[in-house]
Amino acid sequence: MTADGLEVRQSSASVWNSKTELRNLKVVSKLIDTSTCIGCKACEVACQEWNDLHIVPTTQTGTYQTMPGLDANYWNLIQFREKQIGPDFAWLLRKDGCMHCADPGCLKACPAPGAIVQYQNGIVDVNPEACIGCRMCETGCPFDVPRYSESTSKMAKCTLCVDRVQVGLEPACVKSCPTGCLEFGDKSELVAHAKERVEQLKQNGFASAALYDPPGVGGTTVITILAHGDHPEWYGLPKDPHVPTGVSFWKNALRPLGALAIAGSFFAMIGHYLSFGPKKPKETGKPEGGAEQPKGDA
Amino acid sequence: MNRIALQDRRPGNAAGDAAIARARQTDDVVVGDEIVRERLSARVVHWSVALTFFLCLFTGLPIWTPYLGFLAGLFGGLHVCRVLHPWIGVAFAATSVLMFGQWVTQMMLTPADRRFITPRGMLEYFEYRNEDADVGKYNGGQKMLFWAAALGAIALLLSGIVMWLPQPVFGQSLRQASYVLHDAAFSLFFAMIIGHIYLGTAAEPGTFRSMVRGTVTKSWAQLHHPRWYREVIGQTSKPEN
Repeated sequence: MTADGLEVRQSSASVWNSKTELRNLKVVSKLIDTSTCIGCKACEVACQEWNDLHIVPTTQTGTYQTMPGLDANYWNLIQFREKQIGPDFAWLLRKDGCMHCADPGCLKACPAPGAIVQYQNGIVDVNPEACIGCRMCETGCPFDVPRYSESTSKMAKCTLCVDRVQVGLEPACVKSCPTGCLEFGDKSELVAHAKERVEQLKQNGFASAALYDPPGVGGTTVITILAHGDHPEWYGLPKDPHVPTGVSFWKNALRPLGALAIAGSFFAMIGHYLSFGPKKPKETGKPEGGAEQPKGDA
Repeated sequence: MNRIALQDRRPGNAAGDAAIARARQTDDVVVGDEIVRERLSARVVHWSVALTFFLCLFTGLPIWTPYLGFLAGLFGGLHVCRVLHPWIGVAFAATSVLMFGQWVTQMMLTPADRRFITPRGMLEYFEYRNEDADVGKYNGGQKMLFWAAALGAIALLLSGIVMWLPQPVFGQSLRQASYVLHDAAFSLFFAMIIGHIYLGTAAEPGTFRSMVRGTVTKSWAQLHHPRWYREVIGQTSKPEN
């Protein structure tokens, strides 16, 4: 659902500037500290409950993971990964879900006006009423998040509980987290806080600890502390995510070029007609056609 | 046959309704002052392709850009376009196959056609300086349009299938490439069809009726397709391409 109380920064397939930022609302953020996540899945349950999502049958994939992957009915998934790092063994947990990019590839790829909306506070939301179910957003997302629902023929993903956020509450997952590994608040404050935590991890033996806030997509609203920050791919995160070249080329270059080719053809034909006019048989100089028969014929 | 003949009654066409009715089943035949250029089946197939093309176009344009979003209203909204577009696309591909089958043997390029489609040949054509050109039933440009349309239809169909029914096996890169291909193919196809419509109507009077009534005047044939005209009038040999 779209939130009425929030200002819109950009909207999918908008003909003109869709920005409504008049008030100065803060950019929010959700901080995930994977180093303190215990994989209890309280956030998954809270997400399902708050958003009234009905769980679908799952498949056992040999891990503690609830589902093999995200689903149109499952927006928040703790991923369990086992990793041999040198002599050590690591159990890497990550909270998978929409990252709410500052430069959202889904919104860029979306052809339906207003189906994907980015609010001024950074939340990227879906408006199912406007969604036409074309699935183009799937190819725009560098994190493989949007899911197509066969039952509604529309896309679904985490809304960062925009309905809670707009009335001053934190997202349901954050509310439920028992270890405090999920935090919600003003982005600049959370980034500063996360950097302190990263320093702490470095002192505790995780030399490559880092905050995952990828600049390739303009940063994300959901930021993640990784103990092995030099290897985000160990957590299933892309190393340098950006809006796919295919999508940006298609929308930024190919579409205007195509419009130019179509308009060019149209105006070239008008120009030709004005310059040369219709091609008529020489004998009569009259346009033929219909029942009129040229004189010098046969 | 009689039914067609009745519909064809009009003053000044004394050549005989029966003859015209017969001729509509075939082509390259002289009927009075006219020559039958396109038989009924060819015209039906052509207009089936045109109809499905334009339905695809008008359901696709509002998805292509929100600036043309108003076109979605013709069909009941963007959601309807999204559902209709791929199915009409299948119909477009199917009618394109029929059109390909009916004309492919006539669309082989002759040496004269190859000269026609050089930049110089095309310039002469567009500047009306090629009246003595060795042009058969279809000129080099028409043949190129035919092949470009066939290629375009294949590109649109294949990329459209990937976009329509995305499968895990397709992968993100293939899906993105399909958007690019579908978009590029459509843009060029539409630009080409604008030229096709212009040449078939305003630029060359007397051409449009060959696709509507199926007939052209002798002077038209002499002007635009001199070799074909000689072949049809002379009836010395079977018309070549």
